Parts: sequence; C-alpha cells; structure tokens
Amino acid sequence: MAAVSFEGIGKVYDDGTTAVTELDLVVNEGEFLVLVGPSGCGKSTTLRMLAGLEDISEGVIRIGDAVVNDLPARARGLGMVFQSYALYPHMSVEDNLTFGLRMKPKAERPDSEELKKMVKETSTMLGIDDILEKRPRDLSGGQRQRVALGRALIRRPKVLLMDEPLSNLDAKLRNQMRLELRRLHDELGTTTIYVTHDQIEAMTLADRIAVMKDGVLQQHCPPLEAYHKPANPFVASFLGTPPMNLIEGTADGGVFTSGSLDISLPDHLSDTKGKGTLGIRPENVRVMEDGGVEASLSGVERLGSETIFHLDVEGISIKALWHGPGDESEGLPEGKMQISLNDPSAVWFAD
Amino acid sequence: MSDDLASRWYSPFELEVLQKAALLVVLCSIPVLWVVSLRENGELLVLLGMISGLLSFKALSRENRDFMMLSSALIMLLGSLFLYQATLRGVAMIDIWYSVILICSGGYGLWSLSSSHVSKWLNGRLGVEGAERGLARNRILRPRWAGIFTHALLLHFVFIVMVPILWIIDVSLSPGQTASGSLDLSAWTLTHFSSVLEKDDFWTWVSNSIIISIGTTLLGLLLAIPAGYAFSRHRFSGHGVMMFSLLLVQMFPGVIILVPYFMVMKSLGLLNSWLGLILAYSVTALPFCVWMLKGWFDTVPLDLEEAAALDGCGQFGIFWRIILPLSLPAIAVTALFSFLAAWNEFLLALMFNQSPDMYTLPVGLAFSITQAQKWGDFAAMSLLVSIPVVILFIVFQKSLIQGLSSGGVKG
Repeated sequence: MAAVSFEGIGKVYDDGTTAVTELDLVVNEGEFLVLVGPSGCGKSTTLRMLAGLEDISEGVIRIGDAVVNDLPARARGLGMVFQSYALYPHMSVEDNLTFGLRMKPKAERPDSEELKKMVKETSTMLGIDDILEKRPRDLSGGQRQRVALGRALIRRPKVLLMDEPLSNLDAKLRNQMRLELRRLHDELGTTTIYVTHDQIEAMTLADRIAVMKDGVLQQHCPPLEAYHKPANPFVASFLGTPPMNLIEGTADGGVFTSGSLDISLPDHLSDTKGKGTLGIRPENVRVMEDGGVEASLSGVERLGSETIFHLDVEGISIKALWHGPGDESEGLPEGKMQISLNDPSAVWFAD
Repeated sequence: MSDDLASRWYSPFELEVLQKAALLVVLCSIPVLWVVSLRENGELLVLLGMISGLLSFKALSRENRDFMMLSSALIMLLGSLFLYQATLRGVAMIDIWYSVILICSGGYGLWSLSSSHVSKWLNGRLGVEGAERGLARNRILRPRWAGIFTHALLLHFVFIVMVPILWIIDVSLSPGQTASGSLDLSAWTLTHFSSVLEKDDFWTWVSNSIIISIGTTLLGLLLAIPAGYAFSRHRFSGHGVMMFSLLLVQMFPGVIILVPYFMVMKSLGLLNSWLGLILAYSVTALPFCVWMLKGWFDTVPLDLEEAAALDGCGQFGIFWRIILPLSLPAIAVTALFSFLAAWNEFLLALMFNQSPDMYTLPVGLAFSITQAQKWGDFAAMSLLVSIPVVILFIVFQKSLIQGLSSGGVKG
C-alpha cells in the first residue's frame, strides 16, 4: 500500500490534443479515490499515466516516495482492472490469476505451494474458486469481472487501478459488484483509484472524489461535500439526478433577481452581491399549497419512489423532486403549482 | 389482416422445387448436347428438353398452370424417347443418367402439379384456412424436397471438380502407360507406384522439396511474424509506404523478375542450391504473410498487452507469452501458405536448380514425362506429390478456417 501524488501533471498527445492540464492530486494511503467526469475529461488518461501505459508530458507522479515517471509499467507494482477485463483468452482462470506472480524475477517468485495458497485465498475471497479450470470465454460477465479483479489483487499491489470496471455489466450485477468492491476495499485497505463516468458509482464508492472536466480538476473532496457544496456550476450539475437547478441572475441586499423573478436569499447568502448563479437542489424545491412562486407545469416523471416535476417559472425551467409515488389517479393540478425557491441550503456561484 | 396475409404470401413449395428441377434439366442438357452432337443423332431431343426446361423455369406461376403441366409431360416424354433412342444404338452411361434426370424431373412436375393441394391453389380455391395450412405444410415439407434437388444440382458440380482427380487416380492404377486409363477395376495394379518409389531420383527430389519447403516456411515466419507485429502495433515513418509497397510487389507477375532473379542468384553463387530457392520463395511469400499476420494482430486487443505489461512483462515477454499463443491459427495459415507455395512452385525451381540431383518434385515430375511418355508412372507420381498437401490441409483445416475468417483477410 502506498500514497500516490500527482504534481503538476499534464498530458499532450502527439497530435497536439491536450488531455490533462496542471493536475495536482494526492491520494492518501488506503484511500478509495474516484476520478469522475464526462467522457473525454482526461480521467482515463490520468489513470493510464499512473499505470505507465501513457507517457507523462509534464509534472511528476509519485507512488509512495518514489518518482515513477520513467519507470516501466511492470516496475510500478500496480494492479489494474480494465473495462474490457483483458483476461488472457488462452489461459485458464488459474493461470490468469497467477500470470503476474509467475512473471516476477526468480528471487521474488513464489514457489508452487505458495502460489496455490495465494490462488485459493484470492479465489475464495472473490467466490471464483469453482471456476479455476475454465477459460475466460466460458465465463459470464460477472465471473470475468471477478477474475480480472482477482488478477489485480493477488499480487498485493501498492495501488489498485480500475478503469470503468463495471460498465460492461448489466444494471443488477453492477449494483451488486459496487457493494462488493466497497466491501473488499474495507477488508483489504488497498489504495484504490477508480475511474468512472457514473456519478452513482462515484458517490457510493469513494472516500473522496475528484471531478474532472476538459482535463482540469474541478473539485477534490469527500462525495457528500461535493454534492452539498459544489465548487462550480459544472460540479453542481454533474452530481445528482436530476441535476441541480441553476438560475443566473443578480443578488443584492438579500434578494436574488432573475428577469421578473425575485427570490429572497437564505441567511448564509444575505451578504451576497453582484452577478452570479444560484443553485438549488431539486429536492429542496418545495411544492406549496399557496404563498409561493407560481409555476406552470410542463411535465411529470413518476419513478415510483419519487416524482419529478418539470416546471416553468417566468421562463426559467426548474425541476422539483418530491419523494413519493404521486397519485396516478389525480391529474395535474390544472397545470399550475405554487413552489418555494427559498432554500436554506442554496449555493451561490459568483461570475 | 392476418387472413389476407396468409393467402397473399402463400405459394406451395412444389413450385420452388420445380424451379430447381427445371434448372437441373437445363444445366445437364448443356454437356449432353455437346456429347450427343459428336454422335449422329439425338440433338433435337436434348435441345427440346433444354428449351422446355428453360421455359418452365421462366413460366412458374399460378397463371401458367396448363403450360407447366404440358412442359412437365414433355420433359418426361423426351426423357423416355431419349432412352429409347439410346437402346437402338447401345446404351452409354450418359444416356441413362440424362434420361433419368428428365423423367424424374418431369414426373415430379406432373405429380406435384396434379396433387389436390397444389391444384386447389392453382385454381384459386384454397381459401384462407387452406393457405394457412399450406404455410405450415411448407415449413415441414419444403426442406426435404428442396434438399433432394439442391443436392442433385450440387452433386453435378462436385462431379465436375472431381473428374480430373478421379482420372489421375484411374490412370495411376491402370496397367500400361496410356493417359486414358481403364475403368476395369479388376485390372488395377500398384506397379506404377512401386516403380516410382523404387527410383532413387524420386527420393532425392522429395528430400530437396521437403528441405526447401520447410526452410521457406521457417525463414518466412521468422521474417513475417515480427514484421506483421511491428506493422500492426507501431507507427513509424514509412509505415504506410512500406505496407503499400508490399502489396505492390504482389501485383507484378513473377515472370518479370525471373531473369534479374537468376542473375542475382548466379552472382551470389546460389544456383543449384537449397538456400537460393529458400531465399527466393520466402521473399515471394512474405507480402501475403505479413499482411495476413498484421490483419490478425490488429484484432488482438491492446488491453491484453497493457494488462501483461502491468503483470510484469517486457515488450518481448508480451509478444512471446500473450501475442504468439493467441496468434497460432494465423501463424498456421501463413506457414501452410508458405509451405504450399514452395512445394508447388515450378518456374524458379526450373531456372535455378538445373542439375537433376537438385530438382524439386514439380520439376522432376515435368522431366519424367518429357523424357519418356510413361503416363501411368507420371500419374502415380503426381498423386504422391500431392499427398503431403492434402494431409497438411486436413490437419490444419480447423485453424485454417479460424485464421482466415478471424484475420479478416482473404486467402
């Protein structure tokens, strides 16, 4: 186990495209970090630079205290789970698991007794001890996933890297594996860096998340902090379903004005002045009997456990989330609703 | 709606089968017409058979019911007449074969068209329910009947392909040294084979051929595998140009380079040697092998190499432990290709190795028939030469298909 630090990391590909700029990021020992962002944001490139699969254009990457910039991939002591699993098709599951161990220099190579023990331990932990003789092509997606994980873990890597490991699984299996990954991490305590575009995976798995966009780190903090106190409108809109309502306008004297809409700001924002964006989570938009702002309803999504109202307030589109199934027999309240936008947890992004 | 659909889409499978039968009649008439025209009479019958087959092939539809019946009857009648005429002048195999096809096809036409189901359909009295039942009937009966005539057609093609081989086998086993052989199975003998196998020359040529072919295969693979891998995985200056020039070389006929090749080999002192031919053959086979292997390597996911890199392999380890084992089918194909190219090659071998003790089998084969017209020995020797090829194909059949299809390159 080891900490990882990225210091001023940049990546420019041969064709001139910039993938990552000025990335400073520290992953503590034993931490589960999730790199999250839309596709093309540089998160995979960052991981591949750490793994040694991609040259580093700028900056320094350390694993523990050692600078690894120019070390070959095999010298970095990492385990990696690929999106495609990348199991060796011509080897049995057992050979896949032990391949890395057998490739070690003679002095460090475990003998066959030890190898057997390690295989048994890892395969029991992952529940794959009954398929050790099979070839990857005979396995289901979930089993392949476990073998890939086992292959990365069996060598006790200093850092475990995962590149969208769950994206090839169906929804049910994905949920199950998500929980299991977290459990494994709690058990083994391996420093883990996990790349995903799925904000649910990011929220549920991470000790801390690092949100990236266009190669730039946007925010690096525990997931709930990023949810409640997003650093900028991008993070605000990226985390959470449905995303945060963002209303552009001006604040002055405790009142926020956007067009003809006036919202009194909560106490913690009463000193705010100037142009900016007000962010309100959909679950904090309250539907009121009367006394709120009048909103016309443009659509409803009933998801069972919750209901999403798509509203239009003075030309601004607002989403409201109500935790309840909604009453199917009831029609919409004549296309009009009263809502309150006075949210004590609202966030302010100055321009 | 579904009611209408059934009657709109239904047509009895017999029509489809009849179409195949008509095609069979037309195709078989072509060679028979040629054979019959060498004899005195009968052309008219065959021509008529061909025309009525052609017409009924064109005319198959509900409206032409009477015509279909008529042409079926005609074909059957022509078949009988042909057989009768043949008996007058002595029946040959081809007469029986042709009249059986005519009579069977015509008979099937008459029988199926007059069956109650089909005639109801032809008269338009089948109705919706009948059409639905007909669709079910089609599903069950069509494969069986269509199979019969499809196979009858295909067997003829197989026969055409097999004739030269059967002929050679016949010549090699028949006594005497004529090229026509005899169909008298009881007279068959292995003397030709034993006389070939007893010749020392033959064994010299065999060993020359084996050494040169295996040498070519090994040298070819040794060059083509790394080259294909490099072309697949790395981008370097001249990458595209080199790939293209490999193709370009393939486009010139080999004869063009024959003379320069000869001069080069002469100045290198490689005439009448194994190495000269091995070098020449490897170079000739290289473009195909490199392209073939590059195509295969392209399909091996890069992820596997990266996983192996993280698992502790260096560049060579990745290649040796991951890429090579995964590429065995493609390597088998390229190996087979190089081997066969070297084994069968004639022109270069004829030019380079002119002393009889350095002949390869194809050259030896050619000389053996120019020196003395021993067709029996020649046929036996041809068969012996092609046996290794056949064995190799049988052994490598599976990986051959895998290699050719997955590599995405045509052989």
